[in-house]
Amino acid sequence: MQLPSSLLENAVAEFTRLPGIGKKTALRLVLHLLKQDVGDVQHFGETIAKLRRDIKFCQRCHNISDGDICSTCANSMRNQRMICVVENIRDVIAIESTQQYNGTYHVLGGIISPLDGVGPEQLAIGSLVQRIEKEETEELLFALSPNIQGDTTIYYIQKKTAHLSCRITTIARGIAFGGELEYADEMTLARSIANRLPVQQYVK
Amino acid sequence: MLQLRSISLVQFRNYVEQDFSFSGRVTAICGANGAGKTNFLDAIYYLSFTKSYFSRPDSQSVHHGLQGMRIEGNYLLNGEEQKLTCILRETNRKEFALNGEDYKKFSEHIGKFPCVMIAPDDVELVTGSSEERRRFIDTILSQSQPGYLSWLIDYNKILQQRNSLLKAAAEHHLDESLLDTFDEQLSEKGQLLFAARKEFLDTFIPLVNESYKNIAEKDDDIFIRYDSQLTQDQMRELLLTNRQRDLYLQRTGCGIHKDELELLMAGLLFKNLASQGQRKSLLFALKLAEFETLRQKKGLAPILLLDDVFEKLDAQRMHNLLSKVCVKEKAQVFITDTHAERLRQQLDKIGVEYQLIEL
Ligand SMILES: Nc1ncnc2c1ncn2[C@@H]1O[C@H](COP(=O)(O)OP(=O)(O)OP(=O)(O)O)[C@@H](O)[C@H]1O
Ligand SMILES: [Mg+2]
Ligand SMILES: [Zn+2]
Repeated sequence: MQLPSSLLENAVAEFTRLPGIGKKTALRLVLHLLKQDVGDVQHFGETIAKLRRDIKFCQRCHNISDGDICSTCANSMRNQRMICVVENIRDVIAIESTQQYNGTYHVLGGIISPLDGVGPEQLAIGSLVQRIEKEETEELLFALSPNIQGDTTIYYIQKKTAHLSCRITTIARGIAFGGELEYADEMTLARSIANRLPVQQYVK
Repeated sequence: MLQLRSISLVQFRNYVEQDFSFSGRVTAICGANGAGKTNFLDAIYYLSFTKSYFSRPDSQSVHHGLQGMRIEGNYLLNGEEQKLTCILRETNRKEFALNGEDYKKFSEHIGKFPCVMIAPDDVELVTGSSEERRRFIDTILSQSQPGYLSWLIDYNKILQQRNSLLKAAAEHHLDESLLDTFDEQLSEKGQLLFAARKEFLDTFIPLVNESYKNIAEKDDDIFIRYDSQLTQDQMRELLLTNRQRDLYLQRTGCGIHKDELELLMAGLLFKNLASQGQRKSLLFALKLAEFETLRQKKGLAPILLLDDVFEKLDAQRMHNLLSKVCVKEKAQVFITDTHAERLRQQLDKIGVEYQLIEL
């Protein structure tokens, strides 16, 4: 695709770096922006820049936050002795939108898979174990993808917390049939949070 | 009862667009080399297994120069009409549907329309590495034992993860807890798979021996044995005992992925001793035992696909085989040959009704 301006070309190139955006879509978006007022586009750009610059991650649960501690962690109406362990921030958003969960979160930042170069050190597992020790957590609810890596991650964390008296449960597995949590519809997800199950001690 | 009544092929291998219907139980297909006989049987296999019998990528099955393909089969299964559709889209995305409803997981389909193929290169099964025989056993169990295929898929995934961890441990430090976790996950699936294989082979091996005698009219001193490390020890113990060696070699040296179906003749390795005809007889015996197992487990005779079998056996053994599957078992049989005349003679001799398709 030959573009008549290098400014245009640069902008299109930036948009194509986004997931799921090809060159055609990028061009459409950029041309759309060109039709807007200069001020509006300025505002658009600044919002994005500010998002990246100012966003923080909660020091306790690694969720997105405006301050050092996120609004969920700071909310005394929520059960602070309960932690829902998720893979990423999209899962937090999915679970929050069910309005069925009233505890706190812990965002691992991924799932154990040595095949993909992800070991426990790459994930927020150490901080989770410390958190449970320090906060005397009563229940750890796993909401991880229902697959082998999800299981591995649960069993591993279970091993690391075996010395603690915290109860370990998982949301009913098999939601979204091999799919990921974020794709589960709200009703299914809500039901599986309501019907959480104890995790069996693996092999004694 | 399972019966394929018609099949339609669109852009599959050498077929651009062609429909076939089958009137009875026995269908004979003849044509010159390269006419598309094997492809025809493979299309039927596709519908039972959602993939080719010959482990090739789906894209190679699309007619050269065209995009996408489709195989559709109309069956009669226990008196009810059933339609299977396999579509490979232009994007190489595969869709598989039963009566118009797409499967989310193809593995759910395996075993619903059982089918057994016997093709010329299959002699690898008795002469090749142990992997060939594991795959053979796994194919039968995947069709006949609920859960088996998903345990196997899980086992292989965990095994890969464990091997990756062993590799990573050689460069960094070892996370013992993670290795313990994989050992536990692997052992759970390993024990399930071992128990399933053992139970299956306890009845399967006698069936093979019996089939061999039926074809060869003697036993040729053949001895078949299931050999697994899990016979002596629990998988968990094996992994613990071998951990240092696994760490050194950076791969998992024990488990059901090392199982072997040992084939002996007069106490020696079958493949080193057996004649061509004996190899072929044992191959057929294994396949017929597969057929028999599926028939028992499913309560219906699988569709039998016989490719070029005339090239393989002497007249008497051929006669024994054909009368077994076409007359005694009442299975639906598709059989190919390059010579229409030879096919006719053989089928007339056993006195079975058949339809002849010339490609
Ligand atoms: N993707 C494809 N597109 C077009 N033609 C193909 C494709 N794949 C295979 N063929 C053709 O199909 C033919 C082979 O068909 P097949 O193996 O079924 O023959 P056959 O009748 O079994 O022959 P033989 O008697 O030698 O075993 C070859 O001529 C090959 O070129
Ligand atoms: Mg052929
Ligand atoms: Zn927080």
